[in-house]
Amino acid sequence: MPDNPLSHVLNVIGAQFPDVHTTLATREEEAFGIAAGLYLGGARPTVMLQSSGLGNSLNALTSLLIPYQIPVLIVISMRGDEGEWNAAQVPMGRAIRPILDSMGIPHLTSDTADATADVVRIVGQTAFATRLPGACLLSRRLTVPPKVTT
Amino acid sequence: MTRLEASRALVAALGDEPIVASLGHPAYDLFAAGDRRANFYTWGSMGLASSLGLGLALARPALRVFVVDGDGSLLMNLGSLATIASTKPPNLVLIVWDNEEYGTTGGQATATAHGADLDAAARAMGIHATVTVRTEEGLRAAIVRARVDAGPWVIVAKVQESAPAVKPPLDCVFIKQRFMAAIGSAEPATRGTHQ
Repeated sequence: MPDNPLSHVLNVIGAQFPDVHTTLATREEEAFGIAAGLYLGGARPTVMLQSSGLGNSLNALTSLLIPYQIPVLIVISMRGDEGEWNAAQVPMGRAIRPILDSMGIPHLTSDTADATADVVRIVGQTAFATRLPGACLLSRRLTVPPKVTT
Repeated sequence: MTRLEASRALVAALGDEPIVASLGHPAYDLFAAGDRRANFYTWGSMGLASSLGLGLALARPALRVFVVDGDGSLLMNLGSLATIASTKPPNLVLIVWDNEEYGTTGGQATATAHGADLDAAARAMGIHATVTVRTEEGLRAAIVRARVDAGPWVIVAKVQESAPAVKPPLDCVFIKQRFMAAIGSAEPATRGTHQ
């Protein structure tokens, strides 16, 4: 789904990983539906989205992916956490972990570039081994590092 | 034609192609028309049947993937038509049972009862293989073409609501595992295969 920090990841995937196919959906819920169909066909899908879009996705998660035990790796670019400039992003940013917890979707947060590959790998391995969607939260400190003035 | 008659015509016209069914009456009528291993019945996620079909069609280009959606469900996820048009899977066939009402939830009129045209919407998004049918004969002819000719296809079938008598007595995970095995992407056991 559209997101500024994730757009850089998409660019790298497009340039360096020809065996990874990407599709841009019109809405986050639709992306989870497409991902579920990909899984039925034998693929290992990832949905990449901004945290605000998780709110658009709850019915897909709770009435399709979780009850049918369809695993998807979810990579969430955080808004509304430390460093945010837009007040409209803050409520969902604060709510996202309790929402994931209440659905029983495990999640890990990465605050540093060094930790990100491990976080994504372990969440993905767990999701596909246990057939439950799992989420990686990429904090704003990671995706938009604060400018330090000296 | 009623939706049940249309569902029977679809099942009779197909071989072992996968069919993804939107929740509620489209899924119930598909089950009544003939339970098949390659039927994927959704029990929720209204609006996402076409997205499920799109993902499956992208993952498995050698399979001709059929979706039975409802007009109300497709109206809930109209953006799906744009994504289907932009990804252009030639092996996706989206059939819309258009009864001009939310049949599963009490019969409230949908926008198609007031003139909204889902065939025209599909064409406006860039899907070229579209047809609207109003008879079983017309539906059969459309399916015969859509099984062979390059899509993506959108077939809008105008149907009458017909209260389903049965619901599939099948659980979500059973539906998924039976379906995946039928189309050649069987899930391995979760225990014992991972270290």
